[in-house]
Amino acid sequence: MLLGAAEQGLLYGLMALGVYLSFRVLAFPDLSVDGTFPLGAAVAGMLILRGVNPFLAALAGGGAGLLAGALTGILATRLRIPGLLAGVLTMIMLYSLNLRIMGRPNLSLLGKPSVLSGLAQVLSVPRGYGTLVASGIFCTASAVLLLLFLHTELGGAMRASGQNPDLVRTLGVNPHNLQILGLSISNGLVAFSGALVSQYSGFADVGMGVGTIVAGLASVIVGEILLRPRSLLGAILAVVMGSVVYRLAISVALRYGAALGFTASDLRLLTALVVLGALAAPALRAALKGESP
Amino acid sequence: MKRLLLVVLAVLGVFGGAKPIVIGITQIVDHPALNACRDGVIEALRRAGYIEGQNVQYILANAQGDFSVAMTIAQDFLARGVDLVVSIATPTSQAAVQVFKGTNIPVVFAAVTDPVAAGLTGYPNVTGTSDMIDVRADLELLLKIVPGLKKLGQIYNPGEANSAVLTEMTKKAAAELGISLIIVPAEGTAAVPLAAQSLLGRVDAIYCTTDNTVAAALDAVIDVAKRGKIPFLFADPTSLERGVLICTGFDYFDHGLLAGEIVLKVLRGTSPKDIPFVRQAGTQVWFNLDVAEEIGFVFSAEAKKLATGLLFGGRRFVKE
Repeated sequence: MLLGAAEQGLLYGLMALGVYLSFRVLAFPDLSVDGTFPLGAAVAGMLILRGVNPFLAALAGGGAGLLAGALTGILATRLRIPGLLAGVLTMIMLYSLNLRIMGRPNLSLLGKPSVLSGLAQVLSVPRGYGTLVASGIFCTASAVLLLLFLHTELGGAMRASGQNPDLVRTLGVNPHNLQILGLSISNGLVAFSGALVSQYSGFADVGMGVGTIVAGLASVIVGEILLRPRSLLGAILAVVMGSVVYRLAISVALRYGAALGFTASDLRLLTALVVLGALAAPALRAALKGESP
Repeated sequence: MKRLLLVVLAVLGVFGGAKPIVIGITQIVDHPALNACRDGVIEALRRAGYIEGQNVQYILANAQGDFSVAMTIAQDFLARGVDLVVSIATPTSQAAVQVFKGTNIPVVFAAVTDPVAAGLTGYPNVTGTSDMIDVRADLELLLKIVPGLKKLGQIYNPGEANSAVLTEMTKKAAAELGISLIIVPAEGTAAVPLAAQSLLGRVDAIYCTTDNTVAAALDAVIDVAKRGKIPFLFADPTSLERGVLICTGFDYFDHGLLAGEIVLKVLRGTSPKDIPFVRQAGTQVWFNLDVAEEIGFVFSAEAKKLATGLLFGGRRFVKE
């Protein structure tokens, strides 16, 4: 149970990092991720079926996400469309586009080469842990790159632009360009995550993006509350940890729900309750000790 | 005596040391047809003497529309050591096969329209049932029933794997039969009313396949069909009472029974690799005479001969 949750937590962690970048760094509530997640899966899936190396296919999927994110940024800044609507527009455009890319709603990748099993083979990881190690490598590499980027001058300006666009303007940087770049990177990460998840699950489906933003936001916030990060490194670790905790909550709900008298249709309620329990634990513990939280 | 025997058997089942078989059933979403399919599987096993809590234990799981959860469910089944998996609908079946391929735990899929395109064939531990309907037969039926049928409207969700396959088949069959097809997409239940209204005045009949989105917003299509006095054929026999003029296809409970038969074969020792996937047979044809009267449509005596049964006065009558 832990293994599957950890694997998925790391793979979806990439997506959560993307959501962290738009939601926390840019302070931009970007809904395009519900479309860019399956976009990455669609592009990568299509290329894999044409015989392209699964790693290159995943990168191409991520690349498509970069473009889609830039589109949301352009809509929001150059065309002055409110951020939420810009994201929604990109998301619904991508629904049709994803169908067009795949040619049908569902692509089977069962038995096709996967970058996760491929990487595990190259590194000769013990059987059973290959996917975990490969997911960990992808997640760590992306997290490190994102961290390095946010520490550059440009990255620093991006962080400042989320908090105070006017300050950035006085520094002679156009905050609009920063926003476009940030959304582009954010959706690139989300699409790359989608490409990896499709190889992990054995299919790409046009419906697989539903709920991406919810899972992403939950991961970001759960991580923040559990880890209370003070540094950028801490914040990034918290996002990945939040993603693993979120997947673990689903696993726990699946495993122990029936024993507690819940039925299969209560899954989402139960998942939310498990997350809530994890979040409320510190406050409850403090209250039990008689301190104010 | 018989009763005593049953009690003894039950007691043996519980205390006799024989561990119950554990079957994990995973489905993608709560949906009347898919729920009926699940119930059908359980019923088929019950009829064969597999009683829940005695010699069989079910783990029911539902991804509630979240595709990532389909994968988590399959992994959970593997970790819990289930003896057999029943996967209902395409994405859940793909996730189950991804997790259980290479194991010797059987996976029996159900309600998958095109198992070959879904990549579910070629695994020694995987078999199941296809819910592919006979689209061409539906069109031929319409040609016989609706005089002067030239233009046919179809509403479907291009995001549904099953529906996309069937719409492609409708296109092909319509071309072969000389019917011009007007296809309108509805990407969600909220889009169905507009899609249906767009067909008003443009078509001689409406035909919808086993599209989950249309099924969920069926009343909107029925409403338009009645207002425009357009004959409407829907490939789900359980929707007749809701006001559909012509219903064809099969009941998903029966489809579940069929999948249950395959599960039984596997439990009795046949290897899934020796059981090719089975396509659901036994199409029903139902006419709703109440709706016919409401919209001024007349089923000819010839047409009525094609029906499995008729509905009038709010009641179904199976033809002798």
